[in-house]
Amino acid sequence: MADEAKIIEDKATPIKKEWEEYARKGNWTVKGYEIVRALSGPGRIEKSKEEDFMVIYRPHGVLYHHSYGLVSKFFKGLIDKQLFGTKCPECKTVYCPPRVHCWNPKCRVAETKWIELPLKGKVHTFSVMLFSADAFLEMLPFVLGYVQIDGADTALPIQIVTAPTDVFVGQKVRIKFREDRKGDLMDIYAVPAKGQTIPENSCLHKNNKNIEHLNRDLENTYAFLNKRFGIKKEDVERRWKAK
Amino acid sequence: MNDRRVAILGGGLYRPGRVRYDNAEEGVAMAYRSMLDDFPNLDPKDIEFVQSSYFSDHLNQQLCMAWIVQDYIGQHRKGGYRIEAGGSTPIDALINAYFLIKSGQFDLILLAGWEWMSEVDTATTNEFIASASDTDWDFTVGGFYNGYYAALETRHMQLYGETIEDLGRIAVKNRNNAVHNPFSQWRAEHGTGYVSLDDYYKDRIIAWPYRRWNCALISEGACCLLMGSEKVAKRLTNNPMWIDGVGLGTDSMRPGDRLVDWAYHGVYKAEEKRYPKNIEKPITPYPEMANFGFAREAAKQAYAQAGISNPLKELDVAELFAPYDGVELCLYEDLMFCPRGEGKTLIREGVVERGGELPCQLSGGLTAFTHPVGATSLLQTLFLYWQLAGLIRKKLGDPTLQVKKAKKAITTGHGGTGCQGGVIIYSKD
Repeated sequence: MADEAKIIEDKATPIKKEWEEYARKGNWTVKGYEIVRALSGPGRIEKSKEEDFMVIYRPHGVLYHHSYGLVSKFFKGLIDKQLFGTKCPECKTVYCPPRVHCWNPKCRVAETKWIELPLKGKVHTFSVMLFSADAFLEMLPFVLGYVQIDGADTALPIQIVTAPTDVFVGQKVRIKFREDRKGDLMDIYAVPAKGQTIPENSCLHKNNKNIEHLNRDLENTYAFLNKRFGIKKEDVERRWKAK
Repeated sequence: MNDRRVAILGGGLYRPGRVRYDNAEEGVAMAYRSMLDDFPNLDPKDIEFVQSSYFSDHLNQQLCMAWIVQDYIGQHRKGGYRIEAGGSTPIDALINAYFLIKSGQFDLILLAGWEWMSEVDTATTNEFIASASDTDWDFTVGGFYNGYYAALETRHMQLYGETIEDLGRIAVKNRNNAVHNPFSQWRAEHGTGYVSLDDYYKDRIIAWPYRRWNCALISEGACCLLMGSEKVAKRLTNNPMWIDGVGLGTDSMRPGDRLVDWAYHGVYKAEEKRYPKNIEKPITPYPEMANFGFAREAAKQAYAQAGISNPLKELDVAELFAPYDGVELCLYEDLMFCPRGEGKTLIREGVVERGGELPCQLSGGLTAFTHPVGATSLLQTLFLYWQLAGLIRKKLGDPTLQVKKAKKAITTGHGGTGCQGGVIIYSKD
């Protein structure tokens, strides 16, 4: 067997042209500049003096090709609407996110076995995101969850599609697949299982002020979405009302 | 361990800000120069090694920035290298320099720490920082640290019952300290007025349970420290701050993996036992996603070396690496200032306030002073140096933050979601 790799499924060629071109556009050359007058010096503001600075604009685009390695099966599984984890034959720990090698020191990096997992789990913890990185702005507001899939011993990072004021620790969820799947964790999301009531000890709900403030700032986020993307509050709410 | 003593001899800073236009090597040079002003007897040629500390190559489109900095200040020819470990970078640089002197290899080291974080837009800065999370997993669904840390705090809050008000108290405390620190970004942007819990409630939530005030700043700034053996310390300063103990620790890269954290399993039994009865326990109950195992691990080593058995009583002042206010509260527990779950009591009872038994973040910390990553722990160490040397009034032009008769101090540092970090105990004679 020769030490060479061959492509056995190609879902990249059509996008390569577009993105390689984009990546080459920013080739470390200066595209423009500003002269900025600003404070200089190490000490207190009162002791600083003004200087003129030249600020250059120099783009740098990159297209990475990255192997998912031996956990490729997990991500190919997402494309095929299956959720996989791994199980250690020695200590029986079930990993999702999967590990191909068990990290229990007793197991001496034993190779794990692939198992298919059910499309349900429970919320271990969460955050309600009212701001995020560029790539996620249009998805706001969303719930970033860590969900323990039934049968797994670890928690998987996943977005929970729900009214942000309804989520709680211990909530049972079902895992759904998006229509347009690309091979990363955004191919799946969680929705709350039906017929649950918010427990009295929920840290988000046990003080009314929490919900009051969250609702106030959700309105700010809706206003931002409307201004920046023309997305209406009703459009956002439809995301979880439809589930 | 040999009996060589190692000390921080002093330092200088370049005032951090959200955007600074002097560039990194100039900022370091100015911090270095203000450090030299405090050492009239120091010949720069006597420095034997330069320990550089900065975390990002992405932020400045420059690899090997340390080489630029070291030659810019004329410290090339002698040895030098950079340490990099995300947020853990500056604490690791401090601990590494300590090892280099402790081993007998060197007697006098210059530490140079900096970060220039505003050369890309804010969202991109957040993305570059978040690329220190596992980019195949956590990054994909959240894209920035506020979310991960907020989720960790939600878990701790659910288990141990601190409230938004407690997080607000910490945010208010740190701001009301920072107004007395003329180098703080909070004061540069908001002036010298005090804030209240009501002001905190008006601040916008960005990742529940965190508001903007609860989150670390984005900063550009630099700090230089001089570290030396006992032999050179005597010659250069009357106020050495001794390193009494250091400790290092790590935890899993992905926080979700900590539910079955075999490396921690059964190691901290007392903390495992303090798990609430009414909540389903993961296989490994401590630290799980609620506490910071690296900090416990590092503190245990540092306290043993420093001979500290009751940190709350024996330490006089703390500068913690807390990029989020919930982290500060959890660190009270993981550094054994109080039992697990009692962090909230320390803030409620004022123990960690100015004038309290163990004031934390008198500088304002990462959320109100500054957080130019590679310089952060150096700046916090310099602040502690001024505390122990009694120089707060002289350096800040305001005595308010001076802890009287402070003799022992602690600082911590970490990166990721507590993936790697360290603890240092300082003292004066």
